[in-house]
Amino acid sequence: MKRVLRSLIRIGLILAGFFFIFHLPTLFGIGKDSVEIHGNIFWMAVNSDLQSILQIMDPMYLRFFKELEIAESYQYSMTILFASLVVIIIAAIGMALLILIVPEKVRNRLKSGVNFFEAVPDLLIIFLFQFFVITLYKTTGLKFLQLYGMFGHKPYFVPIVTVSFLPMFLLLQFLIRVMTEEQSQPYVLYAKAKGIGRVRTLFIHIIRNVFPLLVLQLRTIIWVLLSNIYLVESLFNINGFTRQFFIIIQQGGDFTSLVLCLLMFCLPLLIIEAIGWLLSKRIKGKEAISL
Amino acid sequence: MSRYKKTIIGTALLLILFVLSCLYPYYAPIDFNHQILIRDEHGKVIDRAPFPPSQEHWLGTTRNGEDLHLVLLYGAKFTLITAFVVAVLRVLLGGIFGMVLSLWAPFLKGYFKDFFLTMRYIPAILVAYILMLPVAGAPNDVGISSIVTYQIIILVFIGFPSVTLFASDLTDELLKTSFVQSSYLLGASKLHIIKRQLLPYMRSYGILFTVQQILSTLQITMQLSIFYIYLGGQNRAGVFGYDDASGNPKPASLSNEWAGLIGQNFTEFVLAPWIVFMPLIGFFFVIVVVNMIKKELEDQILGVQLMKRKRKKKKDGQLPVNLSPSSEKFDFIQ
Repeated sequence: MKRVLRSLIRIGLILAGFFFIFHLPTLFGIGKDSVEIHGNIFWMAVNSDLQSILQIMDPMYLRFFKELEIAESYQYSMTILFASLVVIIIAAIGMALLILIVPEKVRNRLKSGVNFFEAVPDLLIIFLFQFFVITLYKTTGLKFLQLYGMFGHKPYFVPIVTVSFLPMFLLLQFLIRVMTEEQSQPYVLYAKAKGIGRVRTLFIHIIRNVFPLLVLQLRTIIWVLLSNIYLVESLFNINGFTRQFFIIIQQGGDFTSLVLCLLMFCLPLLIIEAIGWLLSKRIKGKEAISL
Repeated sequence: MSRYKKTIIGTALLLILFVLSCLYPYYAPIDFNHQILIRDEHGKVIDRAPFPPSQEHWLGTTRNGEDLHLVLLYGAKFTLITAFVVAVLRVLLGGIFGMVLSLWAPFLKGYFKDFFLTMRYIPAILVAYILMLPVAGAPNDVGISSIVTYQIIILVFIGFPSVTLFASDLTDELLKTSFVQSSYLLGASKLHIIKRQLLPYMRSYGILFTVQQILSTLQITMQLSIFYIYLGGQNRAGVFGYDDASGNPKPASLSNEWAGLIGQNFTEFVLAPWIVFMPLIGFFFVIVVVNMIKKELEDQILGVQLMKRKRKKKKDGQLPVNLSPSSEKFDFIQ
């Protein structure tokens, strides 16, 4: 009973927080020279939107969902997200292994190179890629890399590469740190004593042990990926989910549509969090048994 | 102080940039050498803005025919001061609130987390866009001070929950340490604990955190500018020569601050790449400097405890070893 009450309170709080955050513009009215606080307008806005949520079945709301190509564009954005996620994981693991195998002198230089990318703003990368593709086309006349999403085109290659560039380095940095830490574990020393080669230990044992940490880290990666995808879709003029979302906001879409869109946005995050939770639970359970 | 060499150099660089930018009206033309057409001696037009980088125009000119290096110099102060003010406010408010939350109302922490759960799942750029659109989405007549105040409130608000939670976690961890526990046992009040035990820690973490928040503020203002949300609102005149079919000008930043310059010019890079790349490189430079400071502070502040531990280990490890076998200690068998 107490648990039910608690979860009810939590759900209420989450909803209240959501309403509060997205109604801030009505709370802070803009005066001539200063910001004024309008309590009553805020309340009115909250009330009307609350009602629109309660009447979600009403055909008047969710009008945008019928008019715009939501499902199609959502599918496209999510395809990009998952493709880049796969690219990132494979590339990051491969490069991390490579960096850990090479001699120490080279390794340190590579590491500082990886650290350098931490500071690069995402927009610079997007611009450089765009610039690169266009100069490539200008100088060679090759047009195999499609950049813009005009006339219903939906490019895949360039957006995926652009979007996954920085998060890849983020994950790589994380993997190098974790794997270096893992190398000082006693089992690595034991494996060495048994005569198992360094490369074999790295490829089979360390990777296996680092994997759960990798899954937990994926939340951050997806987070960065999502905000990169918005930027890329808007800069490359691609008719993705972001475009539909902005159309909804700019045409003064109703609150219900906004809520649904935001839910769809954070769906991948929710999924990866659920996976991470299950995984950590499983590992903890295993440890409890083995203890 | 040689331990903080990079920090000092970086701060000095940013400060010089800021002071130069603040003193701009005293030494440089206020119209940024505005010149759209170049005529030869017969009065014939031979060229028009934007001009590429050359000896006369060091970084080239914008479409409005203004010297880009002057525009950048003028706008730098807004970028830097906003990032700094927002970061300091976030850390101050979040830090104080987080400490109060952990010390006086630990049961509220879970509820606080739930209340701001939305922020954990929706990227900050979207929240900021939705919240700023009604105010800064189109040119309007309200005073610039109120727009800026509103934008700063929103920017602070976006970072507030994460800073608060971090400060609260940190306080919780510190409260568990033995020196705080013994302080409690000796009858210290909570205020005393804050003053004597927590603040020395919070000061160094606070500086580090401010630098991190400067970085994140810079990033988010830049991302916002892509969606035509500029600090200080939009300029009514727009970008020269870029009116759309219905005669509306293309949105331009009112304050000429760097993020806005990037956002308003991002379509230029095919025809006049310098207009967008120069502000971007400038922005990149600022971010690299701030990141350098952050790295060093991290090494120093978070590394201090590690170093202490290592030094201790070293002392323990140095046992007097005498490796050469001497006949006094062993009985050698002939």
